[in-house]
Amino acid sequence: MTAALRVKNLSVWIESRSGRIPVVDRISFSIKAGEATGLVGESGCGKTMTARAILGQLPVAGIGVSSDGIEVNGKDIYSLNARRRRALLGRDIAMIFQQPATALDPVFTIGQQIGAVYRRHFGGSQQNIRQTTLESLQSVGFSRAEDIAAAYPHQLSGGMRQLAMIAMATVCKPAVIVADEPTTALDSSSRALILQQLKHLQTLHQTAMLYISHDLSVVRQACRDVMVMYCGRIMETTDCQSLFTHARHPYSAGLLACIPQLGATRPAAISSIPGQVPGAADLPGGCHFAPRCSRAEARCRESVPVITDEDGCGAACFRPL
Amino acid sequence: MTQNTWRRLRSDPYGMSGLVLVTVFALLATCVWTGLLGHGWSEVSGGRYEGASSGHWFGTNLLGQDIFGRTLFGTATAFEVGLLVTFSSTLLGMALGGLAGWYSHGWLDEIILWLKGVLDSIPFYLFAAAVAYALQGSPWAMHLAMIITFWTTTARIIRGEVMRIKEREFIEAARAIGLPGLKTVFRHVLPNTFHILLVQGTIVFVAAINTEVILSFLGLGIQDGVSWGLMLAESSQEVLAGHFGNFIAAGTSLFLLLMGFNLLADALQDALDVRGALN
Repeated sequence: MTAALRVKNLSVWIESRSGRIPVVDRISFSIKAGEATGLVGESGCGKTMTARAILGQLPVAGIGVSSDGIEVNGKDIYSLNARRRRALLGRDIAMIFQQPATALDPVFTIGQQIGAVYRRHFGGSQQNIRQTTLESLQSVGFSRAEDIAAAYPHQLSGGMRQLAMIAMATVCKPAVIVADEPTTALDSSSRALILQQLKHLQTLHQTAMLYISHDLSVVRQACRDVMVMYCGRIMETTDCQSLFTHARHPYSAGLLACIPQLGATRPAAISSIPGQVPGAADLPGGCHFAPRCSRAEARCRESVPVITDEDGCGAACFRPL
Repeated sequence: MTQNTWRRLRSDPYGMSGLVLVTVFALLATCVWTGLLGHGWSEVSGGRYEGASSGHWFGTNLLGQDIFGRTLFGTATAFEVGLLVTFSSTLLGMALGGLAGWYSHGWLDEIILWLKGVLDSIPFYLFAAAVAYALQGSPWAMHLAMIITFWTTTARIIRGEVMRIKEREFIEAARAIGLPGLKTVFRHVLPNTFHILLVQGTIVFVAAINTEVILSFLGLGIQDGVSWGLMLAESSQEVLAGHFGNFIAAGTSLFLLLMGFNLLADALQDALDVRGALN
């Protein structure tokens, strides 16, 4: 089966007076149709920039991008002209935003906004568009789809808005959906519902999902594979199961150790990774994690470790656990 | 949406009284345009400075013309000037302000700001006189002068608002579904400035009628016809001599129409607000 989304050597940088500040550093991955992959990392590690690059929203003033190809269904987004690229967006690849409260236009109803996405890519009669809009709302679990379609964003609760946003992202049945922190703004019961609906749609439409999150538990619930990102590089790529049972990169292991354990003997002792995330402007040479790593040795500070396994899985580390 | 808007407007007594006032004046203006009323505005139908009577409800002026008839005709003039100037300058301000804000700090923004700076730096009455001279006394010179100068304030406000809105996430979401830039401006950015346009439109309407008064007083205003401005200009001499007909008729009409518009616009702003910011 071919990959629905394939990213090859994607780099994003910020242009500054003192040169290029790398934000995302030559990352590569692919996601097959019907599968979900998580991209986890701390704030500022380049997750959202990766999402913006994949959706063809870069370069913008001050931010540059390069890659050896970002293919959605075999079509390289960056080799298309602006018009063809726009035709792809929303139809073949869609995005679910973190804040449904601000990502929906406050002056139009949910129905108008979902309908506009469909009309833009497929056109058709008013009646057809309305029908598709209602079906899309029903598919995310709204039983009173007509009431929701007539509502303005501020009339819905946070969870309902996020469901409406999912309905909007899936109305054209795209091959790839990028979900940028889809549940961060929600309470935990809405979170379970959202993840469940996304999983349902993923299986139904055979969508390739990219979950971007700082929350390992979201990724564990929603994804089969996971990539751990640190300072713009992918540190470890593996399946969720192995990450939680046997993380191989010291950074992944550190992240897992930070999750407070229910029923732990000493609740006061919440562990953390020593040191701080270095700023993007002054990244250490070699492995970016080396200064905070207890297992680091001389070569970690001199050369950059890469993932060597043939299937692209494994840890970018000279001394994996 | 229209049903909800109407329901909210209905429940606002101030808004409804504003609507009634504006509707009454609009009907009067329509009657003048269709020739049902006010066609005798220039006829001499009585003696000079007659008091109020059943024949002349507000008396007569210096030339013996019926002040009531002239007030009615002035209603149509006020609507002509007010509506034309308000719509044209608001549309112009919206379009240019929207473009400047969307392409802020680009060359188009520079040009629009430069144009705005030039227009704002010319004294208005001098500009109106220059336009009137250039158009050789065309009856539209006054309207044109106002439209050309009034859009700048609207454009400045809209530019700032657009610069704020374009950073919002739903604009990024619009880009992420492949909506081209200019379409995004008209579909998602400008609709979010509607409440500002409504308020600004009311201010421009009031300003247009006020300016008409001053320009008519200076002889740069209404050329063929009569307006409340001309009547007030006449009354400035008459009030000293104890003749209040023009002053009361034109002043009261002006006051009622402007108040009606303000009340209506204020209520409409609340009633049209679908974003829930106010209720």
